[in-house]
Amino acid sequence: MDKLKIIDAHERFSPDVESQWIAQAQQGNQQAFHHLYENYHRRIYALCWRMMADKDSAEDVCQEVFVQLWQKINNFRGESKFSTWLHSVATNIVLGHIRKNKTWIQRIFSIEEQVVEDIAVEMPELSNLDKNIQSLPERARLVFILFAIEGYRHEEISKMLGMAVGSSKSQYHRAKGLLRESLGE
Amino acid sequence: MKKTMTDNKNAEQNLKAAIAKLPREMTPERDLWSGIEKAISQNSQTASPSQHSKAKVFMPTAWAASVVAAVLLTWVTLGPTPDNSEQQVNLVVEMQQDFEQQKKTMLVSFGAPDVKKLPTAMQAELTKLSSAQQTISKALADDPNNSDLLNLLRWTQKQELDLLKQLYSPQWQTI
Repeated sequence: MDKLKIIDAHERFSPDVESQWIAQAQQGNQQAFHHLYENYHRRIYALCWRMMADKDSAEDVCQEVFVQLWQKINNFRGESKFSTWLHSVATNIVLGHIRKNKTWIQRIFSIEEQVVEDIAVEMPELSNLDKNIQSLPERARLVFILFAIEGYRHEEISKMLGMAVGSSKSQYHRAKGLLRESLGE
Repeated sequence: MKKTMTDNKNAEQNLKAAIAKLPREMTPERDLWSGIEKAISQNSQTASPSQHSKAKVFMPTAWAASVVAAVLLTWVTLGPTPDNSEQQVNLVVEMQQDFEQQKKTMLVSFGAPDVKKLPTAMQAELTKLSSAQQTISKALADDPNNSDLLNLLRWTQKQELDLLKQLYSPQWQTI
């Protein structure tokens, strides 16, 4: 069996059913919350995996996202789509983890850690692009994922990552250049 | 030159196409739900989501109460006084009290986090701001009419509040 099963994205619930699950989960209904987990955990895991560049950490953080979601689900007031809100929650939790796990010297001098895990061997079913994204320097990788895959604007990314808007744009261009190079284009 | 531009355009399009093909979902290798279920069951014993909502309702009340308290405090403190320098000293005291109240309310709204658990560098920043405020307050006691010192005190207080907000305010709560 493949270590990583990649499936197509699709909505499993209609919006009405989803609203019901949310309302029930907000009242403390764990079964309704489980339905929400079933619907969203693969998307959240994909986000965690791409940003953390490590399978085990991604699984741990994905769990934490849902535990925190349970605690904070009352903060969702339906002003945006639930999936959009959940993605923001997850992105902030992942970034918090990445920051927390950095040594003080990495934080002060913005030293980037290169990914050492041999993803190509561990996950042979991944696309070339995903493999190459994982090989990007951390800041370039995070900006690229948030901008190109998750659809955030540079203004939003700059706030999330605590960098100037210009830095976010230049990290994105750097990432694109490195990806083109590694993809042999 | 023209060829290079065309190559770049093609490369850009190829990259865009590759991004569009990336899977939006991936399945974790291990079962994550059992751990989540255990964690939320433990949480439910202490506080359910509906209880969190009660705490949330309390927040605006706390903010409103603090605003009322600050207004009352200002009214009482800034009552007419015969001596101008005494009035200025009172203004400094009122500024400090108002600031402490704002800080306290802000920390309560962030779940009363333990500032001592912050990274050392952040704690050092807060200590620096606090000692700067003390120094300015002392200087104001000798020279209560110095508007530059008053502005400086106001600025350091704002810096401290901004820093606390930056450290503890989760962006997703504002969504």
